Amino acid sequence: MLKEIREITKYRELLRNLVLRDIKVRYKRSVLGFAWVMLNPLLIMLILYIVFSGLFKITTENYIAYLLSGIILWNFFSQSTSTAVNSLIGNSNLIKKLYLPKAIFPLSVVLSATINFIFSLIPLFLVIYFIGTSIGSHFYLLPVALTLTVLFSFGIALILCTLTVFFHDTIYIYEVMVLAWMYTTPIFYPESIIPERFNFILRLNPLYYFLSIFRAALYMDVPFLSEKLLYGFLFSLIALSVGWFFYNRYKDRVVYYL
Amino acid sequence: MNEPAIKIDGVSVKYRLAKERPKTLQEYIIHRLKGRRMDYEDFWALKDINIEVYKGETLGIIGHNGAGKSTLLKVIAGVLKPTGGNVTVYGKIAPLIELGAGFDMELTGEENIYLNASILGLSRKEINGKFNRIIDFSELAEFIHSPLKNYSSGMVSRLGFSIATEVESDILIIDEILAVGDERFKQKCMKRMTGFREKGSTILFVSHSMDEIKRLCDRVIWLDHGRQKMFGDPYTASSEYLST
Repeated sequence: MLKEIREITKYRELLRNLVLRDIKVRYKRSVLGFAWVMLNPLLIMLILYIVFSGLFKITTENYIAYLLSGIILWNFFSQSTSTAVNSLIGNSNLIKKLYLPKAIFPLSVVLSATINFIFSLIPLFLVIYFIGTSIGSHFYLLPVALTLTVLFSFGIALILCTLTVFFHDTIYIYEVMVLAWMYTTPIFYPESIIPERFNFILRLNPLYYFLSIFRAALYMDVPFLSEKLLYGFLFSLIALSVGWFFYNRYKDRVVYYL
Repeated sequence: MNEPAIKIDGVSVKYRLAKERPKTLQEYIIHRLKGRRMDYEDFWALKDINIEVYKGETLGIIGHNGAGKSTLLKVIAGVLKPTGGNVTVYGKIAPLIELGAGFDMELTGEENIYLNASILGLSRKEINGKFNRIIDFSELAEFIHSPLKNYSSGMVSRLGFSIATEVESDILIIDEILAVGDERFKQKCMKRMTGFREKGSTILFVSHSMDEIKRLCDRVIWLDHGRQKMFGDPYTASSEYLST
């Protein structure tokens, strides 16, 4: 397992090029280019705001900041994991022909989504600034929220891309799962609307903890913050170790099934 | 002179050809729940291969389609982990299998040089140092800033060959005859390969052309249904191969 990490650092130039390629190719043919990273969540937020503001405006303070922070964090997670599902089978022509530390493919997907994530924080700060919401006193938690979410996503990505090699329908199952997952995460509705008896769903949802930490860092007063930090940390650690173990267990068999 | 470059000890590779391999997760779970064992048929792509290749030697690999030539190359390149036996490689390997497999058609020639060379394990500094030589050899200087989708297929393989052969490696893998552009460029490639031989690189060479095998190889391994049918002199091997 340590050998794999050494190999990845040896191939860091490839990692860099894969991440760069991802970003370059995505925006190469668009007129506005990289500006889309920031424009995209803004426009999505605008639509959701028009749709949902009537519903939740009274119950949620600073709804715009609430909504935009939810969308940005969720987008990062769903984009990175949904793309990573295909990262091994999509590169089968390379994996079958030359030796590479294969984890470099899901890793590059998660890293390029992380770069998108960081850039989409700019419109988030702008919006927060213009609507006059003040940044909270827990701002130092921002890198913590980021790191925990990225590590969690990488763990999930490792499981998914390995599983897809053996069972192609992982792609479709995950597509449905992500949708259900999105609706069970308080992204555009306040968590107070969830009935008491369904609260356990929220508490089992790792994204809920990451989102709470993220919002606490930005502006919100989040109750039981230290508890949320603890659970967020645990979920991250579990996902990463399960993912890493799972990938390493099956990585030598992957070539036979690609 | 008899320093080993590659040692292959009793290497076997088993593919599991499933008679009814569950293709979906659902089928797999149902299969398991019913307590049914998977029905597999074992297929030995390689069986008990024992060879030693010396430094500076050119080894020819011959055999009919499906004899295990590509599997052997994959085991040596570290792509496949053998089911049994051991492979030890002394030095760095550069595979020349299907040139340009890692190219991205949307990126420019220049960007693809960096991408492809890093796939072969080069660092940024190393690529910078080789960059001009790669362009010179490929004769693509005027197109280097346009995206690869505007290249002809000959131009793409020219770029691939130029990158792969600039990687300074101890062991070079060449699968099948190189279809690299026109006759003139093919000659240029052949010259470069003989140059590698003279420099003392170890070369693994797969070919169906017995003329090339006799001309280039020091020794030959003949694979037949995954077994090592003959290992030795290229003249004896190729004449026997042709008579089967």
